[in-house]
This record gives sequence, structure tokens and C-alpha cells, in this order.
Amino acid sequence: MLQRYIDHFGAWAVVGTILLTVTFLIAPIIVSILMSFDARSYLGRFPPTEFSFHWYARFFSDSYYLTGLKTSLIIAVIAASVSTCAGVCAAIVLDRYDFPGKQALETIFLSPLVIPAVVIGFSLLLFFALIGVFQGYPRLLAGHIIITFPYAVRTTLAGLTGIRRNLTEAAMTLGANERQAFWDVTFPLARTGMVAGAVFAFAFSMDDVAVSLFLTSPQTYTLPVAMVSMMRTNFDLTIAAASVILMLFTIGLIIILDVIVGLERVIGGGVYRS
Amino acid sequence: MSVVQLESVTKRFGHFTAVSEATFSLNKGEILSLLGPSGCGKTTTLRMIAGFEEPSEGDVLIASVSMRNKRPYERNVGLLFQDYALFPHLSVNQNVAYGLKRRNYDRSQIDHRVGEMLDLVKLDGFEQRRPSQLSGGQQQRVALARALATNPEVVLLDEPLSALDAKLRQELRIELKQILSTVGASTIIVTHDQEEAMSLGDRLVVMSEGRIVQQGPPTEVYKNPQTKFVAEFIGRSNWLRGVLGPADRNNLCTFEVAEGLTLLVPKPEFDAPTYEVCIRPERIRAGNAASADGATIVNQLNGTVQNVAHLGADIHIVMELASGHRFTISEQFIGQPMDQYQGSLECTFFPSDCIVVAADS
Repeated sequence: MLQRYIDHFGAWAVVGTILLTVTFLIAPIIVSILMSFDARSYLGRFPPTEFSFHWYARFFSDSYYLTGLKTSLIIAVIAASVSTCAGVCAAIVLDRYDFPGKQALETIFLSPLVIPAVVIGFSLLLFFALIGVFQGYPRLLAGHIIITFPYAVRTTLAGLTGIRRNLTEAAMTLGANERQAFWDVTFPLARTGMVAGAVFAFAFSMDDVAVSLFLTSPQTYTLPVAMVSMMRTNFDLTIAAASVILMLFTIGLIIILDVIVGLERVIGGGVYRS
Repeated sequence: MSVVQLESVTKRFGHFTAVSEATFSLNKGEILSLLGPSGCGKTTTLRMIAGFEEPSEGDVLIASVSMRNKRPYERNVGLLFQDYALFPHLSVNQNVAYGLKRRNYDRSQIDHRVGEMLDLVKLDGFEQRRPSQLSGGQQQRVALARALATNPEVVLLDEPLSALDAKLRQELRIELKQILSTVGASTIIVTHDQEEAMSLGDRLVVMSEGRIVQQGPPTEVYKNPQTKFVAEFIGRSNWLRGVLGPADRNNLCTFEVAEGLTLLVPKPEFDAPTYEVCIRPERIRAGNAASADGATIVNQLNGTVQNVAHLGADIHIVMELASGHRFTISEQFIGQPMDQYQGSLECTFFPSDCIVVAADS
């Protein structure tokens, strides 16, 4: 009897913890979304009494934010493409081949995950100063490729390790050469990981502050950097609107990919690993 | 005509020799069982025939053509993987069609052949299913259809039934044999399961530690194992170690195991420093029924029953001889009273039931 009460209590405790975690994750975002629609022209108390789009209007009329958004998008698209391609190649090499120093190579590839972003940003700043590169674009791109690359490697590797090697062998006994076996079997099965890697890379690039802060130039800065500097100079709810827009880009990307390649099914996993 | 021929094939991985001078051939339409315990090199042998490994020495010939430096897709070999290796992202239809597509059959041929194959393995109606929507037995049949679709010169089956449960295994064994003989496929089955090897194979090749230790028809290998390893690996056996005496005019030798325990055994056709004798449990009769006929020479042993296990169709009796040796006897259950297997028991067997092999030193 007592045991049953304890079990009961345990079950409720688990449910409670989950609810608390969800609230903790979602609540701040909901607050900032609601505040971005606040009709008041000053930073008022939560919740807003009336709603309007005027913070958004302000965002889209402010060239400072728009330049940041444009830069962010350009950097994110290029960085995500480059690191996805490079990451896929790296992951294939790590997964399919055995060679001395493989472990070390994998650690190096994944190291940006553990090295603090501030350290990466600062090191890159010093490095670029040393070789004489002062323009914002190349510096930001390099920084963003470095921080997004490990995600592409990681997710592709996760996708590849789920694919049993004898599937490739089966394709080969059925008449496919290595290249055909890759495109017929490995690629469609690993697409999951590759797409997820690209989405992650894009999202992390859009979102990064720590590395970008060091690498921006007066003319070239990303949206999050713009938000940080606006927060210091004139703090208003345009920043909330900017956050929502930043979120929309990532969510939008996921939805588009879902429609195009069936991300739902892809991330749903299991289906592809008999 | 031999379809596959291995000519003293050796495979080394670093300092480890996985296969050592393996020589055997597979005839057209024949099913050959490559049998051995795990780690004996049978899978490596299979992989060399399929082209995933290159022999370090020797050569593999398929249809009398050397396979040296031929990639797997340059050979026409069908392979059924132990875990089937079906393409999870393709339907049953597409799985079976894959090899035909890659071997450049045209569309109508592919459709026709896929239909034919699914008919053969009794899976019509499942064309659009994904492998994950099939049971283990169905998956295996898809894999078999896929392997047979391209009319391979040789079909390799890697532990074909080991992933299935015991009851399904028996059913599929019969079905598998039927399918293979319908197609007339020349087949090599790799297995560690002696029942599977014996029931499916027309011929056995027994491997141990990278070497082929014996080959021949299953009955022959079972009846006349040439080494202790083969006798122990295939079937159950009782072992006695002793001293072989000279042969008499019936070509029988005395075999002295211990004080008061001397058997008559057939004269071996080879010389060895020491010999061992193996007697299969099912060849020993409990009671002295055989000696009633005075003309025949029999070996007679006395002992005490230690354990009786009634396994349904068979009864296993463990008895201890006066010398301390333990003997397992297997009797068929035909409704006889079980209380006769109690206390002291006499058992008999013919000299011809004794298998003499060279003892492991």
C-alpha cells in the first residue's frame, strides 16, 4: 500500500518536473513575443494592454537593424552551406575509413563545440589582424563556419553510424560500384543527418553573438550584434520584435524543409533503420 | 562442372591467419554447407568469394575465371546476409529490382523478373511494403528474392536461419531448400549449426581454425569423422582413450581402455601415436538385446544409471561405468516402461559403431 503511494508520488513528481521544465523553456519566449506586439510606445509592464505592430514597423524602418538582418542572412546561408558540405565529407571519412590519427581528427573537428565561443572569436580576431584581414565579411564567415561545422559533422555522423555497412556491401553484390552504392543507399539514408546538420548550422549562425562580437567591423555586423549594441544605447521593444523575426527565420526554415524533404519523416528516425 | 573453385586460398589479417590453404569446389546446382564454429574462417571464406576480401595467397575461380582484383560488382554472386541487409528506404519491389536495375535490365524485364521472384518466395501482394513492415521470415524471403533475381552464378547464404526462432527455422529450412532447388542455384551456405548444414547441404565442408578438416556428403562425414574435432562438432559422442592392439582376421582390433574395459573396434586405416574411440549415443542399446543373436560380436559394458531424461521422442540415459567413465545413451521412446533404466544397466554396441580417430596430443 505504502509502495503504491510512493509510486504514485513518483509519477506525479516526474510529470511536475516536465511541466516545470516546459514552462521554464517556453515562458520567457512567450513574454518576449507578447511584448513585441505591445501597443504602448514605452517599455511597460507585462502583460501588454493593447496590441499593435508598431515595433515591427520601427524595426523595418531602421536601416541599422536591416543591415544587420541582411548580413546575418547572407552569412548564415553561406556558412551553413559551406559547413554542411565540409561536414558531410568529414563525417563520411570518419565513418567509413580507418586510419591512424582518426580519433584525434574527430576530436579536432568537434573541438569548436567545447572551446568557448569567446575564445574562438578572440583568437580569430588576433589571427586575422596578424594576416592583415580587417574586412567584416571574411572574418565573420570564417568564424561562423568554424562554429557551425561541428554540428554538421555531428549530425551527419549520427546519421551515418545508423546505416549498417552491409547495406553498401549488399548494393555492391547487386552490381553497384562504390559511387553508385553511396548515392543509392548511403546518401538517401544519411540525408536525415545532413539536413538536420544544415538546419542546426543555419540556426546557430543566425543566433551567434559571442564570436561575431569580435569579428564585426563598423559596416558589417550581424543582427544579434546589432541587438546587443542597441540594448546598450537605446533599449526599447524593437529588440523584442527583432528577436521574434530572428526566431521566425529559423522556424520558417524548418517548416520549408519539412515540406520539401519531409523533415518530419526524416527526423522521425526509426523508419529508415529497419 | 565446378562453378566455384578455391585453390589453396590463404587470408591473413596482419599476423593472424584467418583462412589457411582452403581448397574446395562447388559443382553446378549443388548446395554446399561450409560448417564450423565461430571464428573458424568460414565467413572470411565467404567474403573472399563475394569479393569483399582479397586472398593473401591462392585464387578464387568463378566459372573457371580467376577473380583476382575483381570487385564485388564485377562478379555475379548473390549474397544473403545474416541480417538480410534489405534497403530500408526502398519497398519490397524496389529491393528486388535493385540488382536488375544496376545490371542494366530493361524496364519490362525488371517488372517481369520481380514478379517471378516474389511469386517464387510467395510474397506477392507485399510489393509496396517497406522492410520494416515485414516479419523476420518475410524479410528473409525478400532478401533471398533479391539475391536470386539477377540469376547469380553462385548464391552465398550467411547463417541464413540464425536470426529466426527455432520453430520458424525448421519451416524455413524446408522452404529454403525447395526454393534453391527450384531455381537450381549453386549455393554455398555458411553456418555453425550442424543440423542446418546437414539438412540443407548436399555436401559438407568442415572448417576449424582456418583450415578445412573434412569434406564429403553429410551422412559420410557423420559416419566417418576423420578427426576428433569433426566427431565432436557434428553430433553428440562418447569418448574413450586407450591402447590399440593388433588386428585379428576379421580386421578388428582390441582397444584397452582400462582394467576390465576392452572393446573391439575396426582397424583404423592410418597410424597415430595414440587413438581415441568415439561411440554415438544413438548407436548404443540399453540392455543386451543385440547379444541374443550369438553369431554377432558385440561390445558389452556394465554400469550404473546416473540420470535419465525423457525428452519426448528420445530418452537420454547417463550411466557410469565401473572404470569411472561416463556414457550417454540415447534410446527412442516407443512406449517402453521407464523403470528399466534404473540401477545397474547393461549396454551393447557393435564394433562397427566405434569410430577410431587419432587422439589430440
